Order: sequence, then structure tokens, then C-alpha cells
Amino acid sequence: MFDAMLHAFGVIMAPASMLSMLVGTLAGILIGALPGLNPVMAIALMLPLTYSFDPLIALGLIAGIYNGSMYGGAIPAILLKIPGTPSAIATTFDGYPMTRKGMGGLALKTACWSSAVGGTVSAIALMTLAPPLAQMTLAFGPTEYFWVAVFGLTSIAVLVGGDLFKGMLAALLGILIGLVGVDTLSGEERFTFDNLYLIGGFPLMVVLIGLYAVPPILEMAEKQNSAHYDPANFRTHKSSKALQLIRDYWRTWSKSSIIGVCVGILPGAGGNLAALLSYNEAKRNAKEPESFGQGNPVGVAAAECGNSADNASSMIPALTLGIPGNLIAALVLGALMIHGLQPGPRLFTDSADIVFGFIWQLLLTSLLLFVLGGMLATRLFAQVLRLPSTLLVPTTLVLMSIGVYTINGNTTDLYVMLGFGLIGYLLNRMDFPLAPIVLGVLLGPMAESNFRLSMLISQNDWTLFFTRPISQGIIALLLIVLGSQALKYYRRKCGG
Amino acid sequence: MNYRDFCTGVLFFLLGIGTVWYGKDFYDDSAYIPVSVGVLMSLFALGLMLRSLMNSQLIQMRLMDHPAKFIATLTSCIGYFVLLPVAGFYTSSTLFIVTLALLIGERRPVVILSITLVFITALYLLFALVLKRSLPVEFFLAV
Repeated sequence: MFDAMLHAFGVIMAPASMLSMLVGTLAGILIGALPGLNPVMAIALMLPLTYSFDPLIALGLIAGIYNGSMYGGAIPAILLKIPGTPSAIATTFDGYPMTRKGMGGLALKTACWSSAVGGTVSAIALMTLAPPLAQMTLAFGPTEYFWVAVFGLTSIAVLVGGDLFKGMLAALLGILIGLVGVDTLSGEERFTFDNLYLIGGFPLMVVLIGLYAVPPILEMAEKQNSAHYDPANFRTHKSSKALQLIRDYWRTWSKSSIIGVCVGILPGAGGNLAALLSYNEAKRNAKEPESFGQGNPVGVAAAECGNSADNASSMIPALTLGIPGNLIAALVLGALMIHGLQPGPRLFTDSADIVFGFIWQLLLTSLLLFVLGGMLATRLFAQVLRLPSTLLVPTTLVLMSIGVYTINGNTTDLYVMLGFGLIGYLLNRMDFPLAPIVLGVLLGPMAESNFRLSMLISQNDWTLFFTRPISQGIIALLLIVLGSQALKYYRRKCGG
Repeated sequence: MNYRDFCTGVLFFLLGIGTVWYGKDFYDDSAYIPVSVGVLMSLFALGLMLRSLMNSQLIQMRLMDHPAKFIATLTSCIGYFVLLPVAGFYTSSTLFIVTLALLIGERRPVVILSITLVFITALYLLFALVLKRSLPVEFFLAV
């Protein structure tokens, strides 16, 4: 395994792969800095364009966008009190008060270094935890994979958004979308209504772009155009030396990194939760907790380190089990499938260069932030806040259209994208979480094929699903998740 | 009563029933999952409807903040998709950007034209020269 890791390092040091990481990180910072655009949308948009690329170039871009956007989201959070990404909400608590005090430069530098440290620790955790976990999962059979898919889907449906009914309905809708087309086992057409377009099913990327990229743009189009950027707020004369930063924050970085990594592994949690937990922990342990919220740089360090430490660790269940813990992980799985790779334990042996190369890319793009997120780059990226949303809307829509069109060269895909965009927009307005829909599309077929395979093997004996020890363990985990949510609901009810 | 959740519940309930009705005719084991999904969807939709009926607060639907801009964006998108294979990628994209920017409130012609020009040039360089992707041909170049 160690040899494979070293070999992959040599592969990703190729110029094309290095360039993709550099471009991805810069694009990620830029996208994160633009309120309304998010890394999920950017990665969904970029994937169709990378069909013809080498998988490691596509994955290098994804790694760069993911890590870059986590820091990029801090720029408007600190300068304007507008979180560029949902994960940057906790950064506004102390980042903006620091800007008001004329310490914007220090806040940005703290955010950049904290993001880089969090991302690096997270990538190291992925590198060390994923291979042994992948070895363990080699013992899994179809029944275990069925339960893993059910666990991933149910826990995300229940945990994301916190509404059982809406979460489950969203997940079931996703499974239904995934069922459309020819059944690969029996050859029967399902829900195609004799329509030629539907025989192959809905293209995954079209569904993803429609559900995730279109709704934020429709919302942006509705909002009044406002000038976001005020150069008077952007004072950067105060700054700290690197060693001083490390001395000041190493304790905060250590705790926040551990919190972020643990949150990342949990399905349904996310960078936002990791940032808030890290912030609360830093505040709880502070000598002067009342200074938090008034412009304490430790608050910025904790929030940014926490949200970035969630990044690579969220890939652990995705790469080892094929269960995406969040949307970016779902997109990474989509990218692997586009390039003909099947996520799961065999990925570490069959395509070691790609999977370890991607892990290295996550590590290197975190380290790139130390270089690219410096003050000069940050000043440049802050300028993107001047872009009027009235032009951002049509240009982003053109980019989406070109991305979707190039998948199959079919204009019907564009209407389908708009249709899913409309569904995503409406469900968003009705407080339905969108993540379970995408996971339903991805995990539904996995659950179905493993369920039917198990039934074939056992000659329709249902008890097989409940008698194998690993399956029992996964069922126990599933019951714990459902039980904890039921308890939470009961407590809320009793508390009025 | 929460009208918003009630109406959504009704829609999901109908979708669930429709899935069961349509899925029951699938051959043998290919019907297992569609029927199960339909049944579960109907049950969760019923739960959502019941909960919304028991809600003492009156919550009404407000689907969009600015309907005029929303409809303008959707209509422009459909117009763009119709025009794309007819007029070509760069022509229709230019028209789309200028029209939609005007419709959603941009009033500075120099800003619109300069950003559109830079953007379309960048797209041309990227897709035509670097990635060499085949996009709908411009109407003035079509044979």
C-alpha cells in the first residue's frame, strides 16, 4: 500500500496534473468569494468538461476547487459579513468585527492559514484511515452493500435538514429518478412511457447540474442588484509573521482539525457543523470567552480550520464504501464513474494511482493555499465581489448550458436540466433538503442491484439480510441513528 | 394549517400512488423496488399531510420573491435553448446574455457589452481552440 502511495505521488507530479490543481485552487477561491456560487455548483459545472481529460486532471481540478472554495468563502465573510459558502457562517462572527477594527488583513491571513492547516490534517487522515478501512470492506457481500446503501441514504435523509418526512420524501424521489430507464438485470423498461430519451435514464450530470447549479442562479436573478464591495472596508495594514501565527493558534488548530475530521466522516454532517462546533469549542476553552464575537482572531482560526478539516475526511466513506457523506463526495463518485471507475474497496487495488493520486491532490491543494491565498491574491479575489449579479446570472447560465450540451451533444438535455432546476428551486422554497435526492439517484441503483443479487443467492430467503454479523452491525448503526432522531424529536415535543 | 406542506404532501402522495400503480406491472423482481418506493412515498406523504393539518399556525405558500424576474429568466432560458441549434452557440449566447442582463435590471450598456465580449471571447478560446469541442455551428457559417 505504501509503495502504491509513493508511486501515485510521482504520477500526480506530472505538469498537467500540477496545472489542474493550480487552476482548480484559484477557481475555487474565486467561486468561494462570490456569494451565491458554491463549490458543489462549480464542480457539477466543471465535470462534463473533463470527460476527455485524464481522470487525475479532472480530480485535481475538483480537489483544488473544494479546498480553494472553503477559504474563498471566508473573503466576503470577513470583509462584508456575507458568507461566500454556507460553511463560512461561523467565520463572520469574528471576521467581520476584525475588519471593522481595521484588522481585515490579519483576519484574512488567519483564515487562509487555518484553512490550509485544516485541509492538510484532513488529507493526512484520509491517507491513513481509508486504506485499512478499504481492506476491511473486502469482506462485504451484496447483503452488506445493500445495508450500507440503506444506512447512507436513511441517515442523510434523516440528519440533513432535520425533518424526517421531507428528508425521506426527497430520498425516495431520488431513488425514483434513478429507476427511470432500462433495468440492467431484467432488460425491462421502467417509467420510460415509450419515450426514446428516457430509455437510457436521466444522465447523472444533467440531474446534478439541474438540481444544484440552477436553483441558486434563479434565486440570484430574483434578488435586487447591489454593489457588494466597499474598498474602505478592506484595510490590510496589520498583519502577523508566520511563526507568530503558529504560536498563537496551534492549540486551536489541533482541536478544530480533530473536530473537522470526525464531523467529515459522519454522513449528513458538513463543513458548517464542523465550523460551528470548532468555534464553540474554542470559545468554551478561551480565557476571555466574552471577546468572541467582538473580533477575536482565534474565532476565525477555529471556524476556518474546522470547516476545511471536514473536506478530505468526508471522502473516507465515499472512497472505501461508495457511500458519499456529502454532495462534493457524491460528485467525486460521479466523476469516478464517468471515467469508468467503480468506487469501493477494489478501487484501492485496481486503480491505486488514481485513488492515492486524488488523496495527494487533496493534500497538495491544501498546501497550495499557503502560497495562493496570500495577501496579494486575496486582494485580487476580493475584486470579484464587484461583479454585478445581473451579468453573473446569464454568464453562469451559458456555462451550465455549454457543460450540459457537451455531455451528449443533445439539446433535450438542456430542457431536462432546466426542469430539474425548477424542481430543485421549488423544493428548496418548501424547505426540502436536496442532498438526499442526489444520494437517492446514486445509491438507489446500488441498493437495488445488491438486494436482488442477495435474493438470487439466497433463493429468495429473506433471513439472509438479518443473519450475517456485518449486516447486523450496520442495522444496529441504522437503528442508533433513527433512535437518536426519535429521541431528539421526543425531547423537543416535551420541551414544548 | 401549513398549506405549503399540505399541498406538497398531496403531490408526493399522488406520485407515490402513481409509482405503485405503474410499477406493479413490471416483470417479477424488477417490480420490488419501484413498488416499495411508491408505498413508502405515499406513507411519508400522508405523514407530512397529517402534520401540516395539525399545525396551529397558518402558513401560506410564497413560491418566489420576484415573479417577474423569475419568469423573465425562465423564458429567456427556453428562448436560448430554442435558438441555440438554429443560430449557433456564440450568436445565441451573446443575445441571451445581453437580453437577460437587461431584463433583470442591468442598465449600463457599456458594462453589458464589454463583459459579454470578454466572456464570449474567453469561451471561444477555451472551447474552440483549446478543448476543440463541437458546439452548434453559427448560422452565418452553416452550409
